[in-house]
Amino acid sequence: MKSKHNESRRAFLVSTVAGAGAVATGAGLAQTAPQAEPAADHTHNNGGKLRAFLNQDDSAAIEAFTERLMPGAPGEPGARDAGVLNYIDLALAGAYAELQDFYRRGCAALADHCRKTYSKSFAQLTAAEQDAVITAMIEGKAPSFTWPTSQAFFNTLRTHTMEGMFADPVYGGNKDFAGWRLVGFPGAQPVFTEADMASREAFTRGPILGLQAQARRS
Amino acid sequence: MATEKADVVIVGVGGTGGILAAELSKAGMKVIGLERGPRHKTSDFAGQDELRYFQRQDLRPNPKRQPVTWRPNANARAVPMAPLNYGNQVGGGTVHYGAVSWRFHESDFRVRSQTIERYGTSAIPEDCSVIDWPLSYAELEPFYDRAEYDLGVSGKAGNLQGRKMEGGNIFEAPRQREFPLPPLFVDNSARIFEEGVKKLGYHPFPTPRAILSEPYQGRPGCAYCGFCSTHGCHVGAKSSVLVTKIPEAEATGNFKLVTGAMCYRIHSDNGGQVTGVSYYGPDNSDNTVEAELVILSPFIYDVVRLLLLSKTGKFPEGLANSSGHLGRHVMTHIGGRVFVAFDDRYVNMFMGPTAQKHTIDDLNGDNFDHSGLGFILGAQISVQGPGFDAGPIAASVGMPPPRGIPNWGAPYREFIAKYFARHAALNAQTDNLPFADQMIDLDPDVRDVWGLPAPRLTYDWRRPSERARVEYMLRKTEEIGRAMGASHVWRANERPGSPGGHHQGGARMGGDPKNSVVNRYGQSWDIHNLFIAGGSIHPTISGFNPTLTMQALAYMTADAIVNRYKKRPGPLV
Repeated sequence: MKSKHNESRRAFLVSTVAGAGAVATGAGLAQTAPQAEPAADHTHNNGGKLRAFLNQDDSAAIEAFTERLMPGAPGEPGARDAGVLNYIDLALAGAYAELQDFYRRGCAALADHCRKTYSKSFAQLTAAEQDAVITAMIEGKAPSFTWPTSQAFFNTLRTHTMEGMFADPVYGGNKDFAGWRLVGFPGAQPVFTEADMASREAFTRGPILGLQAQARRS
Repeated sequence: MATEKADVVIVGVGGTGGILAAELSKAGMKVIGLERGPRHKTSDFAGQDELRYFQRQDLRPNPKRQPVTWRPNANARAVPMAPLNYGNQVGGGTVHYGAVSWRFHESDFRVRSQTIERYGTSAIPEDCSVIDWPLSYAELEPFYDRAEYDLGVSGKAGNLQGRKMEGGNIFEAPRQREFPLPPLFVDNSARIFEEGVKKLGYHPFPTPRAILSEPYQGRPGCAYCGFCSTHGCHVGAKSSVLVTKIPEAEATGNFKLVTGAMCYRIHSDNGGQVTGVSYYGPDNSDNTVEAELVILSPFIYDVVRLLLLSKTGKFPEGLANSSGHLGRHVMTHIGGRVFVAFDDRYVNMFMGPTAQKHTIDDLNGDNFDHSGLGFILGAQISVQGPGFDAGPIAASVGMPPPRGIPNWGAPYREFIAKYFARHAALNAQTDNLPFADQMIDLDPDVRDVWGLPAPRLTYDWRRPSERARVEYMLRKTEEIGRAMGASHVWRANERPGSPGGHHQGGARMGGDPKNSVVNRYGQSWDIHNLFIAGGSIHPTISGFNPTLTMQALAYMTADAIVNRYKKRPGPLV
C-alpha cells in the first residue's frame, strides 16, 4: 500500500512539474520511437496484472463501467475491445494525474453504492444492474457520492471513454483502431483529394493511419 | 535581472503583434517581442493528433497556470473558465485557428448610427453601450487588402468595387480587387449546405480563409487533411503569423524575440509617458526592457490586466484608464448550433479545413429587415464540424445525440457508429451587443503561477435582446437543416450564460476620450507612446470572426507609427 501511494505521489509530482509537457511526451514518443502497431499491446486486458495507477478493484470497476458506456457487440467494438481501461490508467499516471483523487474517491463511492444496493461490486453485477447503477448516478440517486458528485463522475468517465475509444492508439486505447473502425474514421490522413471531398460514399481509398504509421513513413 | 533597450517593445507576439514586429523592424526600428508561450515550427505539427490538440488543447493557455475566472454577475463567486480559444505561442491564435478571414460589413463600423437611422433610437436596448467605430470601412479597406495579399487569403469576391459577383458573398462590403487566391476546394458538406440554403432563397459562398488554395510566397497549398482548427498546419499552408510575419521580422536583423517571457508591469514616468516593461523569464528571472514605444498585443484579458496592474500615483485607476472604461464593453459570439444527420449519404466532415466551411451572410449584421423582431444585428450561419475540429473525439464529446437517444450504452454506440461519417453541424455565430457591465477586472481570490491576480470576467449574455437574436437564428438554422434534406435535425443543448467564442472589447477605440480607451490607431488617449492591438480595441464584434479585422487594424497602426509617429511623436488624433 505504502509503495503504491508513493508511486502515485511521484507521478503527481512529475506531472505537476512537467505540466502540459506530459502530453507532449506521449506524442513525441510516437515520432522518435516507431514500433509495430498496435501500440501498448503488453498492457491490454491483462487481468490481474498491476497497472500504472489503478488498483485491481478499481480497474475491474472502470473496465466494467466503461464497457456499459460503450458496449461491444459482434462486429462493433466496444470499450473493452478498444482498451479504454488501459487508456484511462495511463492518462491517470500522466497527463491526468491531477484527477487521481477524483477517480479514487469516485471508485470508492461507486463501490459503496453497489455494496449497499446489491451487496456486490460493480464488476460482479449483471449488465442490467450495472445500467441501473449508471442511471441512478445520472439522476443523482446514488447518495454514496459526495465529491465527486455522481453526475461529475459519470460525465468524466464518459468523456474519458470516448477519448480511449477515439484517440490515437499511441495513448493506449483505440486498440487496433477499434474505435476508428467502429465509426469509419480513417485517422491521420496527411492528404484528402478533391475527389475524396466530393464523394457521398464512405472513405475507403486508403488504410487507417495512426501516428506510429506516420512516424515510420517519415 | 537584465535590462535591455529598444525602440519598441511588443507584449504578445501573436496574430497582431507579429505584424507590428515585422512592419516596424522593416522600417528600421529596433524591436523586442515578448511572448509568454513557446515557438513551434511547421514540422512540429506532423503528428496529427485530435486528443493532444483538440481535446487537451495543447496550443491554448493552460488554465491551471494562467487562469481566467468568470462570474455571471457581480453577486456571484467567480470560477476558473475552461481553456479559452486564444493562442499560447509565437503566432498566437493564428497558429491553431480555423483561419476564417472576414472583412466586417460597412454597417458593422457604425452599428449605433445605422440602427438609429433605420429603426430609431428605441431599437437599441436602453442599457446598451454601443458606439460607432472611429473609422469607416472605406478607411480600413486598403489595410484589409494589404492583410489579404501579405498573409495569403483564399476566397471569391462578392462585391468588386460595387459590382455584385456571382459565387461570392453579395453582402460583403466593396473590395477594390479580388482575393489573392481562389477559394479552397468545396467539400461534400458545403455542397449539401449550398443546395439546401438556395431552396430558401439565401446566397451561399465558400468561406474566405487564410489558408492557401495554391502555392503562394514559397508556401504550399492546403492538403485538406482535416486537422485544422485547434491544430497547427503540418504543411505550412495556414497563413499563420508564425510562418508569414515572424520570419520577415527576423530577416531585418532588427527584431529580437524572447519566448517564455511573462510581462507583469508597464513602467511609466511622472511626465505621463510609458518607459518600458518588466517580465519574468522562463527561469523566473526578473527582466526589464526600456523602450520609446510600448505596444500591447496579447489577448484581451492580459491587455486589461497589465494596464490595471501598472497603476501609479499619477494613474491610480490603471494606465490608459482616465475614462474609467478600461475592462468594459466585453462581447463574445453567442448563438447556437444545430446538428443534421443523413440516412442516404455520407458527409465525411473530417475532410478539409474544419471551421465554417460554407456560409450564408443573409442573416448577419443589418443585411435583413429587423423591424418588429425585437433585436438588431444577426449571425453568420455556416456548416462545420461538431467542435472546433471534426474528428471522432469532437463528435462524441461535442455533439449530443438527438432527443430520445441516451449519450451512453448500445443505443449511443449505434448512433455514433452510423452517423459519425453522416453528420454535420450548422453554426449560427451570433453577434453580441456591448454593455458596460460586461467587464474584466482583477480577481481578488485567484492568482496565476507567477503570483499575479487572475483576470476576472463578469458576463451573462442572456439579456432579452440577445436571447431574441439567438432564438431567431436557431429557428432559421433548423429550417436550413431541413432544407438540406437531413433525416435528423436537432439543436445543441441550450447555452449557459457563460461567454461564447471570440472575446473582444475591454479597451475599445472610439472618437471620444470620455467613453473609449484608445483612438482609431490603437493609441491610448492618455499616453501617446502606448498602443494596443488586437480584439480588445473593437467597439463591436459583428457576426464575423475577428482576426482579419484585428490584422488590418495592426497594419494601419504600423503605417501610422512608421509614417507619422516616428517622425513626430505625439497624439495621432
